[in-house]
Amino acid sequence: MSDDGAKGNGEDARRPRRPETAAGRRARRRAAGDAVKQPAAVGAGKAGRGSSASAPAKRKGSPAPATKREDDGEKQSIFRRISRFLREVVAELRKVIWPTRKQMVTYTAVVLAFVAFMVALVWALDWVFAKAVFALFG
Amino acid sequence: MLSVIRSALATPDLRKKILFTLMIVVLYRVGAVTPAPGVSYEAVQACQPDQGEQGVFSLLNLFSGGALLQLSIFSTGIMPYITASIIVQLLTVVIPRFEELKKEGQAGQNKLTQYTRYLTIALAVLQATGVIALATRGGMFANCPQDVIPDSSVGSTALIVLTMTAGTAVMMWMGELITERGIGNGMSLLIFLNIAARIPIEGEIILSNQGGAVFAVVCVFVLAIISSVVFVEQGQRRIPVQYAKRMVGRRMYGGTSTYLPIKVNQAGVIPVIFASSLLYLPDLISRLVTPETETSWFKRVMAEYVTNQSNWVHIAIYFALIIFFTYFYISITFNVDDRAEDMKKYGGFIPGIRPGRPTAEYLHFVLNRITLPGSIYLGIVAILPNFFLDLTGEGNNQNFPFGGTAVLIMVGVALDTVKQIESQLMQRNYEGFLR
Repeated sequence: MSDDGAKGNGEDARRPRRPETAAGRRARRRAAGDAVKQPAAVGAGKAGRGSSASAPAKRKGSPAPATKREDDGEKQSIFRRISRFLREVVAELRKVIWPTRKQMVTYTAVVLAFVAFMVALVWALDWVFAKAVFALFG
Repeated sequence: MLSVIRSALATPDLRKKILFTLMIVVLYRVGAVTPAPGVSYEAVQACQPDQGEQGVFSLLNLFSGGALLQLSIFSTGIMPYITASIIVQLLTVVIPRFEELKKEGQAGQNKLTQYTRYLTIALAVLQATGVIALATRGGMFANCPQDVIPDSSVGSTALIVLTMTAGTAVMMWMGELITERGIGNGMSLLIFLNIAARIPIEGEIILSNQGGAVFAVVCVFVLAIISSVVFVEQGQRRIPVQYAKRMVGRRMYGGTSTYLPIKVNQAGVIPVIFASSLLYLPDLISRLVTPETETSWFKRVMAEYVTNQSNWVHIAIYFALIIFFTYFYISITFNVDDRAEDMKKYGGFIPGIRPGRPTAEYLHFVLNRITLPGSIYLGIVAILPNFFLDLTGEGNNQNFPFGGTAVLIMVGVALDTVKQIESQLMQRNYEGFLR
């Protein structure tokens, strides 16, 4: 029943540790993940209540649609707005899916083949037509 | 690869399109070498090697595929058409009537196309006159002993202008035919051909003038540009779109989640074409209005700052124009309101954003931000070679076909065209080139 993180501190072990609500369970699972990083800081039972408060704060960090933030953007100074714009550019750029190496090779080869074909075609045509025009006018 | 080409040719629909495009290509090259009436073919040929390529002619000659210095019936190139379409598209923002037409839908769009064509003819007359004036005054063929145009009477000149203008009209028609019934975008494909026509010649010049080492370096450089263009061209920001399930009759539709791809460089090569053709305009005008011997301040300023490719002012203007046209072109071609409306109509939405106006705003937000690196990248690729040409360039520092602009245009058009063939193949469930 008791997991490894809670075995160390005896006081917490006596409390009922299984959270009843789904939100509580989620928080506990997250706390268990945190406990790997900072094992001394929180016991599992404490974190069951403590991190339920910090969870919404964490969720706020993920990028929200910026349409709402745009409204108050008018009041800021120009430099603020430029720097925010640049930050948003970087954020969007992170979401870009770049081609893989295999795709790159294929596409480059195809482009090269196409260009080579067209250049050869035009060169041959020009050569023939130049001869023909020379025969006619030259 | 070969089997794919075979399957492309085996598809009757696609085969027709490819052969049609190739036929136009052949006809186009015929026009590019056929001398205009009243032009002494022998004199032009005799003067050809003396011509040092520089300044505005290099760009003009490049964009006309070498037809300009041949004084052929296609001498004016498609420049008038490009310029006219830039002007008309810019006017849709400025003039309310044009804006109305644009919003009207197909009928209004046809009207705008018609205006573009008229403007093209007018510009073609101007440019043809300019070309002939330059040729007779000796501005085009420096120290040429023979008269390029022996008969300089009004009637003869008018005939040449008429022929060249007609040539431009034919080219315009060819471009539209390719767009309509062939493969790829006609206008950019014709520019591609022009550049392709210059490549063997310019490559030979580099090889003979500067030796194999420089040639190899140039080749490596071109390869690097090609792969970087491909890299950015393929980069996509995928906006997730969720489709609602709905019942139509007894069947269930939708319920799938897809994405709306927004390319980092959504505008393609058009901004580069626009910016470079807009930059040559003032110089051309200054050459047309003042005689060759006279130097006005306008001409001097133009020659020093705008035409000179290694000048900082030129580079800065070019860069700024590219960024401007990237945003401008995207705002024309990618209508966020329409996209949002379509999505709403078919029961799609972006998770976390309401359909309708908020969706349009979000698309606008993403588009504006993702375009900035795209446009900067376009600008950098286009101007980088100017710095390198400074380093390596002696006499022929205007090796255009190997400069950024030309390579950008070529790669962009090649990618577009190949992808269009690919998508046509996919419609028939064949495996394409691009697995």
